[in-house]
Amino acid sequence: MFLAIRELKHGKLRFSMIGLITVLIAWLVFILSGLGNGLSTLSAATFKNMNAHYVTFEEGSRASMSRSLLSESLVKELENQTNVTAASAMGATMGTVFKSASADKVKVDVAILGITPGSFLEPSVIEGKPLQADKPLEVIVNDTLKKKGFKIGDTLEIEGSLEKVKIVGFVTNETYNHLPAIFTTLDKWRSIQFAAPGSDKGIEKPVNAIMLQGENIDPEKLNKHFKNTETVTKAAAIQGMPGYKEENGTIMMMLAFLLAISAFVIGVFFYVLTLQKSNQFGILKAIGASNRFLGKAIVSQVFLLSSISIVVGILLTYGTALILPDEMPFSLDTKLVVVYALLLLVVSILSSLISVRKITKIDPLQAIGRME
Amino acid sequence: MSVIQFKNVSKLYQQGENQVLALDNVSLTVEQGEFIAVIGPSGSGKSTFLAIAGALLHATKGEVIINGKSLNELKPKDLAQLRLKEIGFILQNSNLVPYLNVLEQLLVVKRMSGKLVKEDKEFAKELLQSLGLAAKMEKLPEQLSGGERQRVAIARAFINNPSIILADEPTASLDSKNAHEVVQLIAKETKTRNKAAIMVTHDERMLEYCDKVYKMEDGKLKRDDSFSF
Repeated sequence: MFLAIRELKHGKLRFSMIGLITVLIAWLVFILSGLGNGLSTLSAATFKNMNAHYVTFEEGSRASMSRSLLSESLVKELENQTNVTAASAMGATMGTVFKSASADKVKVDVAILGITPGSFLEPSVIEGKPLQADKPLEVIVNDTLKKKGFKIGDTLEIEGSLEKVKIVGFVTNETYNHLPAIFTTLDKWRSIQFAAPGSDKGIEKPVNAIMLQGENIDPEKLNKHFKNTETVTKAAAIQGMPGYKEENGTIMMMLAFLLAISAFVIGVFFYVLTLQKSNQFGILKAIGASNRFLGKAIVSQVFLLSSISIVVGILLTYGTALILPDEMPFSLDTKLVVVYALLLLVVSILSSLISVRKITKIDPLQAIGRME
Repeated sequence: MSVIQFKNVSKLYQQGENQVLALDNVSLTVEQGEFIAVIGPSGSGKSTFLAIAGALLHATKGEVIINGKSLNELKPKDLAQLRLKEIGFILQNSNLVPYLNVLEQLLVVKRMSGKLVKEDKEFAKELLQSLGLAAKMEKLPEQLSGGERQRVAIARAFINNPSIILADEPTASLDSKNAHEVVQLIAKETKTRNKAAIMVTHDERMLEYCDKVYKMEDGKLKRDDSFSF
């Protein structure tokens, strides 16, 4: 630390330049992680929030709600299986709603989710009252609709359908397939989704999937027992959300590249500095400095510089979050920020090891400098 | 008591197909409190001699004994420890660390061997005082004159209380006034602190401060009695 801090202070300009690059990289890493987190929330928050362990789909649907169609009668049978503590069905359809009898007609895209009122799939309301089985005309909606001017008591019309429903409650952080979720009863959902005759393929009381509770469920056994079904973990079901894998993959790839770039930038910068100073290191070695002593100087320098830059990057990211428009799917997760901060730090310290390796190769004989 | 002893030391360099004998059967003993000079034309093997004395280079034949320990038996890590504890180097261009102030130049050497204690700081200050640098302790090398820098290098060589001081052309980049001053100081500190000092130089004006003069020629070291004081 002794050498490291004094050199940092002495070479303010050069070190603040490399610090600035690291700040920018860290900033971008954190923004991307926030964006990735925001996107995946938008895409699958409802799935992530639900208190289920496994999801049963129709065979061949590859864990996608939109490709899967099952009969609700399966719920009872699934509940009787070993290790299944509870089961509840869900149906999903995309739709467009607008406030009926409103002067300014604002249309909003939503995900209409059919659930059994009172089941573990129903999120708790933050305002208003929950769904009731005997009141199929009532819905609870995500609070993002509030900002669009919807409030409790409003009547919603659903485009392409004669159905009208009333908002009785608001839930928070419930988005599905990038759209705010509207929860309704399964029957209501069916009347919207299967309005056209024959679209239910003759399945009695169709649903898209059945969520299961029970940590020790054996999906293989369920698959064997129920023909025409496939049961997957909740995580796999989230991966099956439309666009989820692709979005996450893109962001992860960018993050990986950024980490690699930061490793190279910091590694190369310190390597060049080390080359420049190899004579100085040679002299210090001649005087008696061990490789350990000099190596520690470099590593602690990288550690200090990276830590400061990462902290500045985090501050900038939280500052950015304040000015980003609300519609941006940006949500910082403290856990993720900590993980990426540590990852950046580890990567930069690892990259400084090539400089350390160089130091061990410097011959102190250089200090004498004029060997014939 | 002999501090450093060369026993029939030879050094052979392989240069392409030729072998160059840089040191040829050199024997030498330097006692405590003794300041000797090695002179000779360039290419005579002076630097090789100094590098071997400074545990930076291994002898091909023979052995070097410092404080009763043969260097042949030591591992590279132990050699670094030995350089740190027993040898003080004064190099021709002072070679200070550019971003450390005068006091820190000495303290960093202390840090190499572990924790810094209060006594170290006091000893460093005392050393700098005795070398006339009391007013310069907070200065960076770039703010010092060549003579002052070389005096810092002397202080640095003495900071770990080594038993041997090795000076490699310490006056090469100094004017004659500063050169005299610097060699005088090396002689003074060597005597008062009872060290053994070897100075490699080709500046014959400086020999008056030395106890013995050796001449190096084609790898052979001979006592030169023409300089007797």
